[in-house]
Amino acid sequence: MPRRIVLPGWMWLLLRNPKSRLGLVMVGFMIVIAVIAPLISVPDPTAFSLLDARQAPSWHHLFGTTDQGSDIFSQVVVGARRSLLLGAAAGALATVLATTLGILAAYSGGIVDEAINFLINVFLVIPTIPLLVVISSYLKSRGMTTMILILGLTLWSFEARILRGQALTLKGRDFVLAAKVAGESTRRIVFGEIMPNMISRIAAGFVLVFYVSLLVDSGLEFLGLGDATHVSWGMTLYWAQTNSSVLQGEWWPFVFPGLALVITVLGLTLILAGIDEISNPRLRDEVRQRRHLLRRLFAALLSGRAAVRAEGPA
Amino acid sequence: MSVPKRASVLEVRGLSKRFAAGGAIRRSRVHAVEDVSFTLEPGRITALAGESGSGKSTVARLLVRLYEPTSGSVVFDGRDIARERRRRAILAYRSQVQMIFQDPFGSLNPVKTIRHHIERPLRIHKLAHGDQVEARVLELLERVGLVPPEQIADKYPHEVSGGQRQRVAIARALAVEPSVVIADEPISMLDVSIRIGILNLMRDLKEQQGLSFLYVTHDLASARYVADDLLVMYAGHIVEQGPVDQVLTEPLHPYTELLLASVPDAHAAERERIEIHRGGQTAAVDPKPGCRFSDRCPIAIDVCRSVTPPLVTARPGHAARCHVTAPSSELREERDVQPVR
Amino acid sequence: MTTMVPSPASASRAGDAHPLVSVEQLVVEYVTPARTVRAVDGVSLTVGRGEIVGLAGESGCGKSTLANAVMQVLHAPAKLAGGRVVFDGEDMVGKSTEELRKFRWRNVSMVFQSAMNALNPVMRVGEQFVDMMHAHERISKRHALARAGDLLELVGIDRGRLRSYPHQLSGGMRQRVIIAMALALEPELVIMDEPTTALDVVVQREILQQVRDLQAELGFAVLFITHDLSLLLELAHRVAIMYAGEIVESAPAAELNRQPRHPYTAGLIESFPPLRGPLERLSGIGGAPPDLSAPPSGCRFHPRCPHCRPEDAVLYRRQTTERPILREISPSHQVACHLVEGAA
Repeated sequence: MPRRIVLPGWMWLLLRNPKSRLGLVMVGFMIVIAVIAPLISVPDPTAFSLLDARQAPSWHHLFGTTDQGSDIFSQVVVGARRSLLLGAAAGALATVLATTLGILAAYSGGIVDEAINFLINVFLVIPTIPLLVVISSYLKSRGMTTMILILGLTLWSFEARILRGQALTLKGRDFVLAAKVAGESTRRIVFGEIMPNMISRIAAGFVLVFYVSLLVDSGLEFLGLGDATHVSWGMTLYWAQTNSSVLQGEWWPFVFPGLALVITVLGLTLILAGIDEISNPRLRDEVRQRRHLLRRLFAALLSGRAAVRAEGPA
Repeated sequence: MSVPKRASVLEVRGLSKRFAAGGAIRRSRVHAVEDVSFTLEPGRITALAGESGSGKSTVARLLVRLYEPTSGSVVFDGRDIARERRRRAILAYRSQVQMIFQDPFGSLNPVKTIRHHIERPLRIHKLAHGDQVEARVLELLERVGLVPPEQIADKYPHEVSGGQRQRVAIARALAVEPSVVIADEPISMLDVSIRIGILNLMRDLKEQQGLSFLYVTHDLASARYVADDLLVMYAGHIVEQGPVDQVLTEPLHPYTELLLASVPDAHAAERERIEIHRGGQTAAVDPKPGCRFSDRCPIAIDVCRSVTPPLVTARPGHAARCHVTAPSSELREERDVQPVR
Repeated sequence: MTTMVPSPASASRAGDAHPLVSVEQLVVEYVTPARTVRAVDGVSLTVGRGEIVGLAGESGCGKSTLANAVMQVLHAPAKLAGGRVVFDGEDMVGKSTEELRKFRWRNVSMVFQSAMNALNPVMRVGEQFVDMMHAHERISKRHALARAGDLLELVGIDRGRLRSYPHQLSGGMRQRVIIAMALALEPELVIMDEPTTALDVVVQREILQQVRDLQAELGFAVLFITHDLSLLLELAHRVAIMYAGEIVESAPAAELNRQPRHPYTAGLIESFPPLRGPLERLSGIGGAPPDLSAPPSGCRFHPRCPHCRPEDAVLYRRQTTERPILREISPSHQVACHLVEGAA
């Protein structure tokens, strides 16, 4: 009996779309770096070494050194671990919360829906960044677990509302009613029938929370609310800022961690754009048409033709 | 071909369903289904005909417990299933009474294979295990005319045609070996040339397996083709019921006559004009007492606007809800006393 | 009591004059980067003045595309790829946008599928009439509203409804408003694409009666497109059957009903169970309408045709390799079928 393996299905879709393909490459690259980090970095990236302080990138220190002589390459490479883990974990937490509560609210209706809705609205109203700033200042331990929890708990409500809306639409569809008439339990309907139709939206939500968490976390660290013992892109940037590296003409302490952030976030955004295009067929057609138009224009320019007639609607 | 489990009868008694509608200030109640009674017998197809707003789809959904009735009962195997709360009893009912939906595409989950759709009922009701499941799936697909079944089972809904999707829906309904199948406008969204195929399938299943069908439709011609009995609904009421040929050739209720005059019939030599009805089919919203068809009726008399006519058996097996053509005995007595205006 | 059957007088008047619309070998393609689909593949059709022509076919046969082509409202990715649309002797294909704009609605108007949802929900009905009239002629608002009122009464709606919003009218009434709008500028041809499909059978009958009366009174031609052949056999003077982008048969309604020559037509007529008379087991048509991106070779109906059998070797070869040509087999009765040619 031939069985279809589902996994490569969506992977294949993502690889075919040019935007998400590029995004996957970028994020994939970062993941690889994070995985091999211990192999390519110094044992303690925050170690001081005044002898090596403030050195520009060289073969010995690929990304140069900080004011205290720490190797920036190691910091960036090890920092990737934290950033990616944090983003993924926060994304997972927020997504699990949003999916479960969102679909449950939509499917159950009545008082359960009201209660969850209320919860969503309460969390939505809470301003994320000020809250994080306040909590970060007060908490004794600002470890990764804490950050993941806080980020997950503040970012889930936005997604939950969207997923609830989509689940509501699906709930009234005949195939859900048919499952009910066939005798399926509520749990199976929610997770087996409704949720599989929402995968693209859920995945998009996950990616969104991922990079928002990344940016927020790095941002907080940059502002000085992070834990100084951590190795992360945000902290490296923080040190770069407090040591006034820019003023001293040292570009390497902030360019490299910044670049790492940009590549990761841009990669994630591209994956998100790809998911959008895949799930919305109309968007796909528009993009394809635009690309065709651009290609034709480009070809015309190359061949030196002055007059280019753009094709309007037939 | 399997033998029917038992000769079960689905009896609907005085079924009513009211919905609340309207905004906060002007709340209204829609009497979608009012005092509906009929019986579905094994080996017979009963057509429930009516237009949109008549309540026919609501009746269908009440029978499969997608809605709960406001009053009345649905009796199956001696038990009133409408009031049942216990999960086991409900599940048992669902293995006996199944439904086919109108939209062939909407009733299938777009991200699941055909196989999944047929497997699920088998697994839920523990009707097959292990290797048996696949065998049953293929057997069911064959029974509804989807060949070669191995190929079709692997496909997704968007990879098969509309008619094939509806056959999948029928196979799914048959998986639990029900006694009763409620078909809610199963062919209205299909291409014309494949409708007959589905109707023939229904007829064959009725004859070969002794199933009873409730065929909900707005099309009298297909009702005539496939059904044994006909129920005509208007604004929540059953206004006429009886053997299909008798109702269509000797209709009692003016609404049935109106429907017959409206259906396109290429074989008809001459057609009478019908009166243009100014207004809507909103008689079911906050209904006034009296016959709900009275403001459109060409033969309405005074009593029609004040007293709701009961369903009266005017001929053997043929009943109608009309003071004029099927008067109840009390009314007949009154009318003997007072002259008819 | 007037009957719904077309009177012989109007039918003959319809046929004798120079045709109002002549579609000649029309080809319409849907062009996408992935593939090109010929939705209309060499269709020829005429509509005479004051004639009701019915066009029947199932989903995907190209009838709506054909209607849009006649109305010149094709939009990307649909493209006119061949043939002509001649209206009153003039070729419409080469016209400028401005000429087309005047042509639309004044000479030809259209009632779309589920047009009752085409009314602007936030404007009163009367205002929408005024809007439409202002787009085509200089007329004062007062006059426009008066005309609108006349039009509503023409379709059997009380004038007072000019002040209603679309949602306050029933589906049937909205459809009648759309028909009234289509008649506002007294066009010579009204194209109706599935105008009553979403409506109940009683409302449908009322509207068709109305259309019949209006047509008799005002004398416009109608191109009525629907999948409901039984409706056309009652309503139209002539009926054309479309399948997979081609016209397979066209004849006066009564003759088509009595003597369908194309197997598809016969099968289609058989797919409507009779409401009266003897009842026998019908067989419909097996298979499904083809995917137009890869239509069957030769006669497009051959995979579903009960008369296409490999045993009849010579005929079978023709049926699977040659496309049948639309030929006139008797006055105003045309068929595109190898079986008929063989017999003739």
